[in-house]
Amino acid sequence: MAELTLSSRGATAPARRSGVWRVSPWLYLAPAILTLVVWIYWPLVDALRLSFYQWNMLPTSPQLFVGWENYQRIFALPKFWQALRNTGIYVLGLLPLSVLIPLAIAIYTHDLPARWRNIYRAIIFVPMIIAPVVAAAVWRWLLDPGYGMVNLMIEWFGFDPVKFLADPKVAIWTIIAITGWKLIGFSTLILSAANANINPSLIEAARMDGASKWEIIRDIRLPLLSSSVLFLVMMTILLGAQWSFTYINVLTGGGPLGATTNIYYLLWDFGFSTMSVGWGSASAVILFLGFGAIAFVLFRLIDRYSFHDN
Amino acid sequence: MTTEAVPQPLSAAPARLRKKTAAGTGLNSAAGHLVMVLMSIFCLFPVYWMVATSFRPTNAIFETSLWPTTMSLDNYVYALNAIPIVQMLVNTLVVSVVVTVIQLFTGLLAAYAFARWRFPLDKLVYTGVALTWLVPFQVVMIPNYLLVAQMGLLDSVVALILPHFASALAILLLAQSMRSFPKEVIEAARMDGARSWRILWEIMTPNLRGTIASLAILIFISTWNEYFWPLLLSRTPENSVIQIGIQMFMTAEGNQWGPLMAASTMASLPILLIYVILQRQVIQSFMKSGIR
Repeated sequence: MAELTLSSRGATAPARRSGVWRVSPWLYLAPAILTLVVWIYWPLVDALRLSFYQWNMLPTSPQLFVGWENYQRIFALPKFWQALRNTGIYVLGLLPLSVLIPLAIAIYTHDLPARWRNIYRAIIFVPMIIAPVVAAAVWRWLLDPGYGMVNLMIEWFGFDPVKFLADPKVAIWTIIAITGWKLIGFSTLILSAANANINPSLIEAARMDGASKWEIIRDIRLPLLSSSVLFLVMMTILLGAQWSFTYINVLTGGGPLGATTNIYYLLWDFGFSTMSVGWGSASAVILFLGFGAIAFVLFRLIDRYSFHDN
Repeated sequence: MTTEAVPQPLSAAPARLRKKTAAGTGLNSAAGHLVMVLMSIFCLFPVYWMVATSFRPTNAIFETSLWPTTMSLDNYVYALNAIPIVQMLVNTLVVSVVVTVIQLFTGLLAAYAFARWRFPLDKLVYTGVALTWLVPFQVVMIPNYLLVAQMGLLDSVVALILPHFASALAILLLAQSMRSFPKEVIEAARMDGARSWRILWEIMTPNLRGTIASLAILIFISTWNEYFWPLLLSRTPENSVIQIGIQMFMTAEGNQWGPLMAASTMASLPILLIYVILQRQVIQSFMKSGIR
């Protein structure tokens, strides 16, 4: 709103004739800006405000100003630190599935015939389009301790069945694996596409010079793939823990004993299970600042270190 | 579904190159196939198992044969009786279609403003749009929820659509492809007296069909699969989307695996159909615009 008035004032002064179409960009932008302000920017401000209040979300009950108390309480909460640690585990645990394995596969399979590559491509992309809730349901069935396919196979090999979702030590890795299952095909395709874009004459020239296979990968392929790799690393760091939300919500509810709760799930828990708006908002503000700082650093790193071939 | 003829002409040139290496790497390429087959099984088996389980009769749910020995639709009947699946599928379809159309519309308008004019604060606004892409939904969920509650729209299909009226993704992607649109064409149209509104819809939009189609696919699929926002708002199955239906079903009837898989299959069917028909475009639109 403020922007609209500001622009028309600035526009009428220098160019009279263009007074009409100086307003038009703002008219075209209005629906989008309005939506983003109402649903994202204003809520950000509101979350900041609510983080200094104590309130249980009932319209009839009063909002009580408590200053920094919510923040102090959260930082003193073992649950918060556990969730933060788990968030780190999610990201680190996802990296092999979302970057390393796809990278290895993309490089290893680059000389398969295009016909076959396209068939594999179509198959490994399927998890990406499957709804997270459906994925959760299917994996819950596959991992069922009594009759699930995975445990039947484990028993067939002579081991004890694993309580994939109920064992506090295993549960987080189960959620990571399911999140990775959704992503692995997508990452592989991104890296395969980047790998296929490498100019074959570069490889051929290196080979003429007597470079070994490993040297070609290390000195030519990996540097040329670095920007795609960095992109995927960045996505995993920024979004990895968010992607797992649905699986945590549907499969473990954050348990057992908070073992699968990450910071995003904790927010949901504060806001909608315990109905404490202040805590939820305070942790939202903490998350937003932390997330923003990490994103900023990552974008700077990418700017500096990604390597382009032309 | 499978391959097109496109790679053929491409492979003509590097074929000579490859032949040299292929001779020495026959074994290697077999190993490559092995890796990809294993990966394909890993990616596809869960989906396959969902469909297979959904067709098993109740007394054979725990069978481990790859395909049910006797087929039955009992699970589907059970699931359809347990939750209002049809109503929820309709809701999901309505939400997805409406969100796709509106997001494309507001995206086109905003992108056009960025591509067509330089105006005060344009860079700032563009950055402001781009930054929203980075705000985790969990951060704004409480105020969003409160706003919907104030409007009295909790547990309604309308509220599922409202926050999706515009998206950074659509705006940025469309702005990018509009910027590469030749300025001369727009200039010429303007000389002919075409107003900006007509230039957008009669000249720009038809030329952006590719981008618009791939965006539409992306928005439709991600809206169809959305879970978090409906989870906050939904109270009654009749006013909710299919993803919530599956979640409710899972909470209520935990280990009814057959019906659960039947419901999941029905929920995935539209997306899988789109994928089977438009496989190439779907993959491309996801790869072009990243995840989320």
